[in-house]
Amino acid sequence: MPDVQSTVLEFVNKLRKRKIEGSQATARCTVELLRSVISQHRVPHANQASALIDAVKAVGEQLVAANPVELAVGNVVRRVLHIIREEDLSLTTAAMGGLDLLDASDDDEDVCNKGIGYPAMSAAVVAAAARSTLRPPSLQTLLEGTPESATVPYTSSSGADSESKTADKSSITRKLKHDVIESVNQLIHEIAGCHEQIAEQAIEHIHQNEVILTLGSSRTVLEFLCAAKEKKRSFRVFVAEGAPRYQGHLLAKELVARGLQTTVITDSAVFAMISRVNMVIIGAHAVMANGGVIGPVGVNMAALAAKKHAVPFVVLAGCHKLCPLYPHNPEVLLNELRSPSELLDFGEFSDCLDFGAGSGSPLLQVVNPTFDYVPPNLVSLFITDTGGHNPSYMYRLIADYYSADDLVM
Amino acid sequence: MWRRSASFILDERRSSNSPPMADTTRGGPFQNPDAISAYYQTRAAHHGVITSDWLAQAQAAVGGVSGEEQTVSPAAESGADKTFNVIEEFNGWRKQPDLAEAVAAIRALAAVIRASEATTMMELEIELKKASDTLKSWDKTSISLTAGCDLFIRYVTRTSALEYEDFNSAKSRLLERAEKFGEISCKARKIIAMLSQDFIFDGCTILVHGLSRVVLEILKTAAQNNKLFRVLCTEGRPDGTGVLLANELSKLDIPVKLLLDSAVAYSMDEVDMVFVGADGVVESGGVINMMGTYQIALVAHSMNKPVYVAAESYKFARLYPLDQKDMAPALRPIEFGIKIAAKVEVERSARDYTPPQYLTLLFTDLGVLSPSVVSDELIQLYL
Repeated sequence: MPDVQSTVLEFVNKLRKRKIEGSQATARCTVELLRSVISQHRVPHANQASALIDAVKAVGEQLVAANPVELAVGNVVRRVLHIIREEDLSLTTAAMGGLDLLDASDDDEDVCNKGIGYPAMSAAVVAAAARSTLRPPSLQTLLEGTPESATVPYTSSSGADSESKTADKSSITRKLKHDVIESVNQLIHEIAGCHEQIAEQAIEHIHQNEVILTLGSSRTVLEFLCAAKEKKRSFRVFVAEGAPRYQGHLLAKELVARGLQTTVITDSAVFAMISRVNMVIIGAHAVMANGGVIGPVGVNMAALAAKKHAVPFVVLAGCHKLCPLYPHNPEVLLNELRSPSELLDFGEFSDCLDFGAGSGSPLLQVVNPTFDYVPPNLVSLFITDTGGHNPSYMYRLIADYYSADDLVM
Repeated sequence: MWRRSASFILDERRSSNSPPMADTTRGGPFQNPDAISAYYQTRAAHHGVITSDWLAQAQAAVGGVSGEEQTVSPAAESGADKTFNVIEEFNGWRKQPDLAEAVAAIRALAAVIRASEATTMMELEIELKKASDTLKSWDKTSISLTAGCDLFIRYVTRTSALEYEDFNSAKSRLLERAEKFGEISCKARKIIAMLSQDFIFDGCTILVHGLSRVVLEILKTAAQNNKLFRVLCTEGRPDGTGVLLANELSKLDIPVKLLLDSAVAYSMDEVDMVFVGADGVVESGGVINMMGTYQIALVAHSMNKPVYVAAESYKFARLYPLDQKDMAPALRPIEFGIKIAAKVEVERSARDYTPPQYLTLLFTDLGVLSPSVVSDELIQLYL
């Protein structure tokens, strides 16, 4: 375990010093780290899943605290937690189905009624009940039982295990880790391949002789546009430069290198040029639970311009960018303020800039936010690696990928 | 008399042939449940609002008129004994001010199960279905009643098919679940209050319309968490909900300001968010709530203020109103304080429909949802 601790600390340092750039790289490194934590964690026989969950949560909290702006870290930690819960559940139902069922219970009342000779229920019933604890609460499960019984299946599964006489017991408990690590590998594979998955859909959305507007530089957008170019669509791209980092310039260079006709415009020209544009495509930093988008500063302006001129506003986001939190949540840091030197030259402005202790000269303050929030009603379409979705559909993906218990860390 | 069409003259000619409207039967609300909504009458009774109607009833009751309930049920009832029990039972539960409408309905149906002499699941289901239809037809205007009945019947149908070989254990389980539903309802309010805490920030101004127990719970919890906020509440004529809510909130030391219903647009610029409850949440994601909610949502939308609806999940109903008049009319007597000339008509509808595009988020015990999720949930339940 000590070497895991040191790797964790190393990673936390890297995050704090912002040495890892980009949400995909961050997400990948986080998952790999969590995988090594899981594989090296020694689990007790009973309540395997909760031990793993606690271990992952402990590490996850540290990671999120190191870089709260990079929401992908939190997302990925919650994904892993959800995976652990799912795998445990499927193992439990498999175990239940195979063994002779005793008084395995799914409700608190049944636990009390045990002594009264409550009739044993079929394995299918218990499986169904156990499944309902992992599904997000819905109208269907409203009358079936209280959510507190979520903890009972864990103890009851281990209870049933200990009461069984088959020798499969130890192999089943060892399987959990193995299954979890397999699923985590799949997750890594998904994260690594998200660009290709998204780019595959480019051909459906970009048509011949279209004009696309984008802002700043996003690798997802680059791959998306190039994929359409490969399929012999000819179109033009307007790139808003994305001051003050001017990453739009880099994107424009890349696009020209791949043979696309590109035009560079200033951010302030977006409203002027929007009427000549067919579609706006941007990459997101994170997508919130209500369908709102956190993107590079300036996208809100592009979104408003697009809305005004009825231009479709398309957001590309890999699945590791889907965040189950709402933007009102105080845990979500919507913005990071970067160095003023990107905007103003220190040398020229040294007499005006506020260096702290009041010097009597006029004070000039510089605010350089990194991100912008786009409310969901301005977004036309989300393209994720699973396909194209409406902003109001985001809750569904989030319910699939995350468990409600993991929201607060 | 005022129909949808602008050519009301044609309507007048047409309507003079049809039977006269409920205006003339004000004296006996129980004899004509469709005219005056019993649901809103009960609510008014909870709030202690005294109307001339109520006074007339009280006098009649004192004058020794025997059990009004006997004139209740429309002719459709067979099995007279059972159905009286259901409606009486329901009215009994409904009178408790803290109990949600759907809970009262489910308790009434639980009473049906308890009193039932059925020996098979199928028989029990049929009895329940009949009782539920009776309840629904008695008060067509209450959406939570309909939704609660439907939900319970649905649960019974699904449970019986799967789980139990033994009838008695199934019956006892159903009874136990029905009784637990009251707890679920209370718990739902707590869950909703917890979910909405993040949305109330220090120094915010909240506009509240109507007296929803869920919204009250939300504000109570926020006050307990030492959040600093103030509340503007609309007067809420004719129920006078604003004054009641203001009194409740001042007990909790929350700064409250009362507004006339017409002063909402005037005050909307200093408001940060609007909180309303719901009588029912319809399939499109819109809500049916006390008259005035639609107006407030329109004003809030035009000024970019979020409108949050707090509703328990059992209020989801399989209705899809296309406009305001597309629902069963729920009328309520309105007092103006001075005498109105005989020919003047009064718009007595007690509720309106707010379409989903004016709502921002729904706080339910299923989580924080956007309006489009409602149809998804209903499909999952009914398919």
